[in-house]
Amino acid sequence: MAKLVLHPENIDDPQVLIDLCPFKAMEMTADGLNINAGCKMCKLCVRKGPKGAVEFVEDQVQPQIDKSVWNGICVYVDQVDGAIHPVTFELLGKAKDMAHVIDQPVQALLIGSNVSDLAHELLHYGADEVYVYDDERLDRFKIDAYTNVFEDFIQKHKPSSILVGATTIGRQLAPRVAARMKTGLTADCTILEMEDNSDLNQIRPAFGGNIMAHIKTPNHRPQMATVRYKIMNAPERKDEEEGIIIDCASTNSMVDSQIEVLDILKKEAEESIESADVLVVAGRGVKNESDLEMLQKLADLLHGKLACTRPLVENGFMSAKQQIGLSGRTVRPKLIITCGVSGAIQFTAGMDHSDQIVAIDMDPDAPIFKNANYGLVGDLYEIVPSLIEKIEAKKGVQNA
Amino acid sequence: MPNWTYHTIDENDVLNLRALIGEEQRMLWKEQISEDYSHDELGGTSSWPELVIKPVSANEVSAVMKYAYEHSIPVTARGSGTGLVGSCVPMEHGIILDLSLMNNILELDEENLTLTVEPGVLLMDLTAFVEDHDLFYPPDPGEKSATIGGNISTNAGGMRAVKYGVTRDFVRGLEVVLPNGDIVEFGGKVVKNSSGYDLKDLIIGSEGTLGIVTKAILKLLPLPKKTISLLIPFPSLEKAIQTVPKIIKSKAIPTAIEFMQKEVIEDAEEYLGKAFPDHQSEAYLLLKFDGNSQDEIERAYAKVADLCLEEGALDVLISDTAERDESIWKARGAFLEAIKGSTTYMDEVDMVVPRSYVNDMVEYLHSIQREVGLRIKSFGHAGDGNLHAYMLKDNLSDEEWEKRLNKAMDLIYAKARELNGQVSGEHGIGYAKKMYLKESLAKDNIDLMNGIKQVFDAKNILNPHKIAQL
Amino acid sequence: MNILVCIKQVPESNKVEVDPVTGVIKRDGAASKMNPYDLYALETAFRIQEKMGGVVDVISMGPPQAQEVIREAFAMGADHGILVSDRSFGGADVLATSYTLSQGIKSSGNYDLILCGKQTIDGDTAQVGAEIAEWLQIPSVNNVLEIKEVHDDSITISMDLPQEVEVAKISLPCLLSVDQDIFMPRLPSYVKKKATKDREIKVLSLKDMEDTDASHYGLNGSPTQVQRIFPPTSSKEKEMWDGSSAVLADQLFHKIEELKFV
Repeated sequence: MAKLVLHPENIDDPQVLIDLCPFKAMEMTADGLNINAGCKMCKLCVRKGPKGAVEFVEDQVQPQIDKSVWNGICVYVDQVDGAIHPVTFELLGKAKDMAHVIDQPVQALLIGSNVSDLAHELLHYGADEVYVYDDERLDRFKIDAYTNVFEDFIQKHKPSSILVGATTIGRQLAPRVAARMKTGLTADCTILEMEDNSDLNQIRPAFGGNIMAHIKTPNHRPQMATVRYKIMNAPERKDEEEGIIIDCASTNSMVDSQIEVLDILKKEAEESIESADVLVVAGRGVKNESDLEMLQKLADLLHGKLACTRPLVENGFMSAKQQIGLSGRTVRPKLIITCGVSGAIQFTAGMDHSDQIVAIDMDPDAPIFKNANYGLVGDLYEIVPSLIEKIEAKKGVQNA
Repeated sequence: MPNWTYHTIDENDVLNLRALIGEEQRMLWKEQISEDYSHDELGGTSSWPELVIKPVSANEVSAVMKYAYEHSIPVTARGSGTGLVGSCVPMEHGIILDLSLMNNILELDEENLTLTVEPGVLLMDLTAFVEDHDLFYPPDPGEKSATIGGNISTNAGGMRAVKYGVTRDFVRGLEVVLPNGDIVEFGGKVVKNSSGYDLKDLIIGSEGTLGIVTKAILKLLPLPKKTISLLIPFPSLEKAIQTVPKIIKSKAIPTAIEFMQKEVIEDAEEYLGKAFPDHQSEAYLLLKFDGNSQDEIERAYAKVADLCLEEGALDVLISDTAERDESIWKARGAFLEAIKGSTTYMDEVDMVVPRSYVNDMVEYLHSIQREVGLRIKSFGHAGDGNLHAYMLKDNLSDEEWEKRLNKAMDLIYAKARELNGQVSGEHGIGYAKKMYLKESLAKDNIDLMNGIKQVFDAKNILNPHKIAQL
Repeated sequence: MNILVCIKQVPESNKVEVDPVTGVIKRDGAASKMNPYDLYALETAFRIQEKMGGVVDVISMGPPQAQEVIREAFAMGADHGILVSDRSFGGADVLATSYTLSQGIKSSGNYDLILCGKQTIDGDTAQVGAEIAEWLQIPSVNNVLEIKEVHDDSITISMDLPQEVEVAKISLPCLLSVDQDIFMPRLPSYVKKKATKDREIKVLSLKDMEDTDASHYGLNGSPTQVQRIFPPTSSKEKEMWDGSSAVLADQLFHKIEELKFV
């Protein structure tokens, strides 16, 4: 049992410890200095407090698990209706890199109905073993059934690490599986590194990205992590299939569910500009209403939305709902490309927390360039069509 | 009134002025001038300048004024152009001095608690800067992208006037360029001043007709650590507004007392695409309290909350976090744009009446909608009696709109006079409200104003046709 | 219908900094508030209660000060409050936190529906809800966009999936994590705040749990260990590009590609 023990004889000034604790867990009581339920066991008081003031006592050695029994880096294949979410390929690439360190196989776990084509596809992306639970009763994502199947796979094949895409499916399936296996799960990792002893170093942001935490799961297997889309790099698709497909059986009790799927709806297309990941913004530099088509096309190619500045609402080109700024909407997309926007404070106050800001404007002195990560001094009527062409060319190659 | 004649700017003037300014890109002539410079936010008054100059120092302003004075060229100062009555519109064309590049914060004096700024500093940048230093500049007009120079020129008020007063109460000193180009200082860092006529106070609210502010020394306060807002639903607007004098009498001083009605809230919801956190009532009071701790504020507002409940409030809702404040105040802040978005064109009145008559005025605005055939929406500062009413054009023809608007304006200002009110609470007179100023003030007042103008600007080159020049 | 909402007290701002030298979290002041995402769960509970009757209770885990957010829930209309608080719960990761809360829930009564917010603004994991459901062996759904129908033995909801929206009927009891903006949360009421100021909050410590083995809680019950915390390195660049339109378009294309937007 690990616990913190206070040694009053080594504490000259209790206030030092009270001030040190970031969680206000040190308090003065009638019995002197005490640690309350606010303690998060961060052990800061042990490391940074007066020498000998607080001691971390582990009076019982935990039974160590046999890590050699756990073998393989598993990637959960995120698929809905036969479409594999691209985060899956990114995770396969990461798993392959890490598998080299410990000489273990990369496993892909595929759950669904009529998914044999998908299984073959995975063999082009570096999976050594694809485990397939193909059952018509698993056609829709049902958390209880999928958790049961996941558990069956883990019990039988004992992967050492499991990577799950942090999609709306992965973010609910992974915790249920982790709790079922009574093991650790680290959400939204941005860096993953494998140690020789198969311990996984996981680094993730907390407090809205204001701090980073390095986390390990030293005495439990499997160790689990979720990773968001577009964090890792997807490997090139190989022409040849490599690896093997292993069919797994699902039982009635496994696929039984308390959830009945009634309907599948298309996502509403009319998404607000506030929720878009990518925004293309038309500014005063856009001369005619018909020129908006070009910017809309760029937005579509980047799976984003078209937004605008106030003058375009005032001259009737676009609606107030598409306006960014103090008198419009506040947005925080991952990428914003402003086209012909000079960057009045009225506008920038509504978008300056965007992750990546690209500005295209003729005037090198335009204030927008103070906010831009990438400032392009040039003519949007030449740059944008050329950019569209390049993106289309790339997409054309992919679809060919 | 004499008929002034002005010199039209020619190429020779442009060359001469360019020599004074140096950098070419800070001067715009003819087709280089964007349409923005011909109007302000509301756009009802329109007139193009011949030349736009963007000075970066008082010396440049002085040099331009000397030249303009010598050659009888009219000059109009402009900040962000967010005014609503045409104060920055150059009625006689001439030069616009766009002061937005003079946007440096010059000095924070923590010993005297003053901030010295150039006129082009935006209100939002100014407040963010002082709050970073745990200090507070209380005037809080809705338009945060206005410049401080513009705020001083209209004596802007805003939401916190109930407790803290208006812009005038926070200006200690001004550096001003006079029409002849002389640079003078009025007031200073001193807290008290009884050294003759207060020329600084004449400049505040003069809408650029007496001199051009090139530097301002502002008074600051320590920043209150915490604010809490109360959103109070009442069964009717009348009940809500009748409670306001009692709140003021109770001596618990909120920083703001606003009233809002369901229909304007609904416009804001539609405009922002975001729900308001309460829908149980037709009318609300919105109060804000500030202080140094949650406990202190809770003690202060408990008295007011109990009072409101005694007066028939349906409940008293507490907003004590940034998210909750955002859901309420963002809607409040969007009212003007939301109303604007709900119609084709609009005009406004910004009258102020004694606080005890706010309800009479609001009810009157409601009652004349049918009579004049216009939709009228209103909201405002119940705590200081400053009402904003908006007449909406909707689908009316221009001719019909003019007719009905004039009728509405006449009725509303007549009512304001009857209630001992004033034409403008915080937007100013500019060009658009001159007629109503004339009707509301005694001839002596107007004559004194024009006399002062004559003393400052005998050649009448600074922002002609504004305020009292009828 | 008896509904339980899980709420958490979080710092008023998530603008924390780490001292790069000592690795100590620097927190600006000590102000705290209810996790903003939990407000949506509470509002959802009240809306269901308005239709179906029953109670809306809240449960929180934390130090004694966390009673403040339970009082806030009372002022919004919650009926009863439970605080799970014990020094031995300290240092809990997701697994131990969800286990502790599930033990607290088991000791508090039978609930037809448990509601959680999407995530907290300090931990940011969005995992505790689903793990609670696993410990309680009830079905769960995340990213609930809409409550469509509520019956005594089931609830029909729509949930956000990567490419589509799924409508599903879930048998009760179950746990739902609702998305932001499912309903606009109501404001706390001064009237309710005064009326509930003396209402008792049930405090549960280790000894009140069904499982009193301290090794299952807190740091001891946590498989994950934080090795260290450190400030993020800012990767934001600021560049001005000059050149012909063709060159600029090419440069931008490669940047967008590198940032994985194509």
